Amino acid sequence: MSEERTIELLIGPQHPSSGHMRLYAEVDGDIVVRLRPNIGYVHRTVEKLAETKKYIQIIPLVERPSLADTANHNLGYVLALEKLLGIEAPPRAQYLRTILAEMNRIHSHFYGLGIHGIMLGSSTIFMWGFADREIMIEMAQRLTGARLTYSYIIPGGVRRDLPQGFEDEMEKALRYIERRLKDYGKLFLRNPVTRARLEGVGVLKKEDAIKLGIVGPNLRASGVPYDVRKVQPYCAYPELEFDVAVREEGDSMARVLVRVEEIRQSMRIIRQVLKQIPDGPILSENYLKMIPPKWKEFVEKKGRIKFPAIMANLRPPKGEAFSRVEAARGELVYYIVSDGSVTPYRLRMVTPSFRNVVLFEHLIQGCRVADIPAIYGSLDYFPPEADR
Amino acid sequence: MMNLMDLLKWILDLLFSPWLFVPLIFPGLITVFAILLFIIWFERKLAAKVQLRYGPLYVLKQLGGAIQLVADLIRYLFAEPIVPEQTDKLAFVLGPIFLFAASFIPCVIIPVSSSFYAIRSDIGLLISLGLLTFSPAIILIIGWASNNKFSLIGGLREGYLTMAYEIPLFISALSMAALYGTMDLIEMVETQSEGTWGIILNPLAALTFLILAFMSTSRFPFEIVEAESEIVMGPFTEYSGILYGLTMGASYVKFYVLCLLFSIMFLGGWQPVPSLLSWSPLFSRIILPGVILLLKSLVIMIFGVFLRSVYPRYRIDQALKIGWHMILPLSIGSVFLSLGLILLGVVP
Repeated sequence: MSEERTIELLIGPQHPSSGHMRLYAEVDGDIVVRLRPNIGYVHRTVEKLAETKKYIQIIPLVERPSLADTANHNLGYVLALEKLLGIEAPPRAQYLRTILAEMNRIHSHFYGLGIHGIMLGSSTIFMWGFADREIMIEMAQRLTGARLTYSYIIPGGVRRDLPQGFEDEMEKALRYIERRLKDYGKLFLRNPVTRARLEGVGVLKKEDAIKLGIVGPNLRASGVPYDVRKVQPYCAYPELEFDVAVREEGDSMARVLVRVEEIRQSMRIIRQVLKQIPDGPILSENYLKMIPPKWKEFVEKKGRIKFPAIMANLRPPKGEAFSRVEAARGELVYYIVSDGSVTPYRLRMVTPSFRNVVLFEHLIQGCRVADIPAIYGSLDYFPPEADR
Repeated sequence: MMNLMDLLKWILDLLFSPWLFVPLIFPGLITVFAILLFIIWFERKLAAKVQLRYGPLYVLKQLGGAIQLVADLIRYLFAEPIVPEQTDKLAFVLGPIFLFAASFIPCVIIPVSSSFYAIRSDIGLLISLGLLTFSPAIILIIGWASNNKFSLIGGLREGYLTMAYEIPLFISALSMAALYGTMDLIEMVETQSEGTWGIILNPLAALTFLILAFMSTSRFPFEIVEAESEIVMGPFTEYSGILYGLTMGASYVKFYVLCLLFSIMFLGGWQPVPSLLSWSPLFSRIILPGVILLLKSLVIMIFGVFLRSVYPRYRIDQALKIGWHMILPLSIGSVFLSLGLILLGVVP
């Protein structure tokens, strides 16, 4: 029998901080020699299921993989579908889509911050993160009527108009979040223990980040100012002013700080949207005129869309469409192939978490056992989103 | 009638004889359980306050869920303690019991007041600290016996940490012994009541002792042995039922003993006893000093558990570095501080 220097640690799927995945770690003393993520535990066949569903039914389906980031997933799919259908949403709907996407980004980043907190052992940040994400959930509920899976963005527009008094409520919410961010800074971001745990840990070099195809805040923390909202603007982003949060360090702390900065930028965007939002319909004229006259009055008075019958059987012409959006965790890509029937021939969705999963192997090698959760949390990796 | 009074008096005398009172009532078993009940509840309430939630609430709602731990304890008692197939069964089952006992035994050395104690020894401080060193060894055994990789890593972490905290802990305690010129806990308190408290005389020793007390009982930010997000529950991963309850309680008991020692060495122990109701020896000899000692230790404990809501945890190598590179020189510095104070004649 040969002598073994390493032991295998199977972290997950039954482990307090593994999430819905397994990390296969080879540990030599306290050093991780090799770490391989074993994903696929929450694979839900979203792509295959989509081939059996009608176009409008796919909206709730593509939302499911990412609990904290549903609006961006919804948006990406609808943008691709609209390209196939050859329609465009009116300006007001574009602004409403933007506001929900940014609210979701704030929500998702608080969620990630909370999870990272508990992975480092700070139960306070866990509770704070999950409590403060509630603000955006509540505001989204006022806008869309749902807390998490909004299905708000539909082909040609959005389902509901802004409710009354939304601007004031939102301003209150944003002020609250600004106040809370200061507390986060005091308790977590500038905490000496947090800094000792995160600074210089899991450094992702710029070249490696580009070579490995990393997306989202993880890429921007390594000094690459790549953001789909700037590179290929969609919705109302071309008319809005915001900065892309970039940091040069590339370590775990930089990734956290980029997300915190993105929360600030998202708040800036929401404020601009609420100030600049134009008047007008919230659904494309093509569909609006198909709504029966009986319901038309309701739609105009209440600002809520009644689906025209054609939505149930959307038949895009033969062809293919591609869309990409900047979701909270990075670039999200949809690719739809239509054969002219009521269901897509193929739907491909490439989620940011799936593109970032390679980082586990790359970053954790050579780190310590205690760094596994520290780096995992800093990547804001979300297994269901990667597994689809 | 007379007989009954005699019997009552006999029972009272027996109860208040130091050999029974100290291990059983204060600072012994009953107080330990009361402290466990209180401090775990208070820790959760305090954390809840910081974390914008309620904390334990529904068990005895009038007192804000104060007896939550009783409910938990009942649950632990009735849950099946699962002993996995591949473990070293004897060590696995006896480990938590010995761990709790080893954390609790140093209580008997703690004096309640100058004239009320179970054991008085010239080396009382050394005995109590020496008895406290049993528990890391038992944790190491538990980690090995559990036959689980996470337990093994947790046990080894405890072993490494023990090296880092025990030596400076002894040095800073002994620096106080040098300062007072005695290792007798009672004489230490009396020396302080004549002069000033130890924390003012030698703040360096107090600081290092406190940090090391946190480190040795896995309080945050040194909650490294049981680090949940890394190694599940460390050495105690495989435990369930009352055996787990014992392992969880043991670190709090050890913390309690260290806080008692801290108040005796640095906070003047039971001094100053107010001359309230001095006609009653029971009151002035036992209850009043006991309550004062308990309150002082409780303040330290509350501070210790409050850190949970402030800090994340350090990595093991960082904690070892803090132990060896920072605390050890500081504790050696505290010895020199003590010697300097003696040379200057500050201490009588």
